[in-house]
Amino acid sequence: MATTTAAFTLSSSDISSSPLSKSTTATLTKAGTTIGLQQTSGMSRRILKATETSIADLISTTPEFTYTADKANKVYVCNSSADSTDYVTITIHAEEIGRLYTGDWMFMPWSASDSNSDIRITAPSTHTNAVTLDYMVIGEGNAA
Amino acid sequence: MATTTASITLASSDLVDGMAMNYYKTATLNKAGTSTGLEKIQTGTREYLATGAVELLDESVVTTSGANKVYIKNLSTDATEYFEVAIQAEVLGRLYAGDWMFIPWSAGGSNNITVNPSVATSMKIEYVVVHE
Repeated sequence: MATTTAAFTLSSSDISSSPLSKSTTATLTKAGTTIGLQQTSGMSRRILKATETSIADLISTTPEFTYTADKANKVYVCNSSADSTDYVTITIHAEEIGRLYTGDWMFMPWSASDSNSDIRITAPSTHTNAVTLDYMVIGEGNAA
Repeated sequence: MATTTASITLASSDLVDGMAMNYYKTATLNKAGTSTGLEKIQTGTREYLATGAVELLDESVVTTSGANKVYIKNLSTDATEYFEVAIQAEVLGRLYAGDWMFIPWSAGGSNNITVNPSVATSMKIEYVVVHE
């Protein structure tokens, strides 16, 4: 059984009158169990050329439905671009989650229930540089 | 100008045989397209005594299309308990006991964040919003 952890720290000394310091670590387990997640895409990289401004799949559930639906799947995405004005809009199906600016990252559970769960990316029409995205899925395999 | 950082470490010695994993990334949370730090914050803890989707965060509290960030953690200790987290009508996924998430949040077009507890026996959640 694999043991994978995701540790998070959020800190600031001056965003409020009291310092902000939030730390937590989750051990990534299969849904409703203490058994570790065993399947991963590994870290991958996608580079959107400056000419690519249409919405595109970053992480798709099709065609194989590689990850079991409605389980404890996790997704990590990071905008590793160099230009501080570059961002990508992250959507799940047609619903906009948010914008990842240069250096920003996200980590969230992923239902992977059907093609409506595809995680999609869109670079703005104004972007002039390539946008580099690093991403990984850690989850439950259909055969596991 | 406030300086706020968010860091993640993804680590495993045995997820892939012979290839230990230890990814670390830290981000300084800035306003959209700038190097000016986000300056507003909301934090909270909520307890739910019934199932059914309920609003956790209303999009009206932050700037639309800003570089807003949201952290949510399921404080349950029972491994079977989860929150189903959604934006508008789209389910992101299930946050099981002890799991956390950290996402950007555009908060436009009624993109409220809702949570749906799996049981009606006092499930708790904590959240932090750092926003424009």
